[in-house]
Amino acid sequence: MRLPRPLEDLIDQLQKLPSIGPKTAQRLALYILKLPSEEARRLARVIIDVQDKVFPCSICGNLTDSDPCSICSNPTRSINSLCIVEEASDIIPIERTGYNGRYFVLNRGFKLMDDSDPADMDVQPLLHILNDGKVQEVILALNPTIDGEVLSRFLATVISGHNVKVTRLAYGLPIGGDIEFADEITLRRALEGRKEF
Amino acid sequence: MKIEKVTIRNFRNIEKIDLTPKPGLNLFTGNNGQGKTNLLEAIHVLASGSSFRRATDFNLTKNDADGYELESDYSLEGRRINSGIRYSLDSTKQFVINNKKTNFSNKDRLRVVIFTPDDLFLIKGSPSKRRAFLDFILKQISGEYSYNLDKYMTILRKRNIFLRKEQTSLKSFKIVNDLFVENAVKLVIQRINFVHILEEVCRYIYSQINEAGSDMKMKYALSFEIESDKINMGVLQSALHQHIEKNRDEESRRKKTLAGPHLEDLNVYYDRRPAQIYASQGQQRNISISMKLAELHAFHSIKGFYPILLLDDVLSELDDQKKKRLISYLHQADFQTFLTVVNTDGIKIDEIPNWRMDEGRLL
Repeated sequence: MRLPRPLEDLIDQLQKLPSIGPKTAQRLALYILKLPSEEARRLARVIIDVQDKVFPCSICGNLTDSDPCSICSNPTRSINSLCIVEEASDIIPIERTGYNGRYFVLNRGFKLMDDSDPADMDVQPLLHILNDGKVQEVILALNPTIDGEVLSRFLATVISGHNVKVTRLAYGLPIGGDIEFADEITLRRALEGRKEF
Repeated sequence: MKIEKVTIRNFRNIEKIDLTPKPGLNLFTGNNGQGKTNLLEAIHVLASGSSFRRATDFNLTKNDADGYELESDYSLEGRRINSGIRYSLDSTKQFVINNKKTNFSNKDRLRVVIFTPDDLFLIKGSPSKRRAFLDFILKQISGEYSYNLDKYMTILRKRNIFLRKEQTSLKSFKIVNDLFVENAVKLVIQRINFVHILEEVCRYIYSQINEAGSDMKMKYALSFEIESDKINMGVLQSALHQHIEKNRDEESRRKKTLAGPHLEDLNVYYDRRPAQIYASQGQQRNISISMKLAELHAFHSIKGFYPILLLDDVLSELDDQKKKRLISYLHQADFQTFLTVVNTDGIKIDEIPNWRMDEGRLL
């Protein structure tokens, strides 16, 4: 059986979204079809709005709808420490920890095996922040993978010469985790990074 | 670890076998093509989920049957464990331990060390065989090694890409090169330490299964030169850095990485001369058996129990004296062995639990 053309188009578009397969796409499309007209229009509008109104902050690269972003323009946040993350989504969990410094978002993943060279990265905005001379510590909050390690080392060379302390997040055990079930590599890192109690 | 019972259904040429092996040496005799190796293969499949002969599950199923079933009861440090595998041709495969569905990373699964005639290439073959031998054991006993090896291979691939594209002047090449050296040295240190332990065990075993007077030695062969006799992280790192610096032109000419653990070797000596060149077939076989047995003991000293030893047709090419010594060593050992032989000449067969195999049946 052939579905009506507009419905088929919607299913095709939904299927392009990450983690959505043909069945989910069909279910979502039928759900959207049954929505009250006002709801459907609102959904369409917010999709257009998100594209039009959200952009990276000109200072830190965080996603925002006003420039500079709410973090950069917040006078109560300390400029002494700068936390470097790969994606804006990484800010959300770090914010929950109560971290009160500023961020720098690279807005680009880095895959060692792809052709990308970290040196192609536009580091001017980062140098701009560092040149102000107010930052005392840069925290590298990249993923504990080879990709993250190469990127961290590259950034460390970029930052060196600015007379700031460079730190990275500790490796170790998750809170509430069970030592019995920790893998030996994580546990070894945790032992190496142990602290006086 | 000792197998107490094995049940095989519709596997290769075996329709039905119910075997109750003994704790020590178990001998399986029979002519060619009767199913001796298939029996070992079934035990190997129970331990790892796959064959050591690169066969698919479809290949393993008996002609005209619609799947195979394997089951074993074994003891592990005083516990009794039952494991089973059921494969049917519609491609469902189920592995259970004590009636619970599980996978082959379960720590209670059957563990085996296998020796086939191909393992002779451990001495004769290319260095990659010996690296694979070291890597295989080290990966089993150390998760850290396994992690470092994967990481090293990724970095090596990237480093080679840089060399191929002549991008060695990039800043990121320097970063990758530093990471390469750090990881290379971690692997080298772990391998050298392990070879020390392995050599000691291996020489002891070799002396047990060979007449006095001959001797074997093992040495880990680095791919770069070091000046100091003391080996540690720092010495190795600066030596490898220096080596790379010295051979920079050669590397950029050949466009690939020319030093590192991916090119190193385990040198084996027979009476102080390279075994590869000077040892006979039989002697090479005995050295490679000693290395496999050393693997078994290394496993024991780290995990606290012995795996099952599967020996496929290792006695051919050994003289009667060597046969006797090996058999009596296995007979008295603390681990359980399954050994297949064609020719029982020179073996006092009455003293050893043995079965005769004929057209897929045990007699």
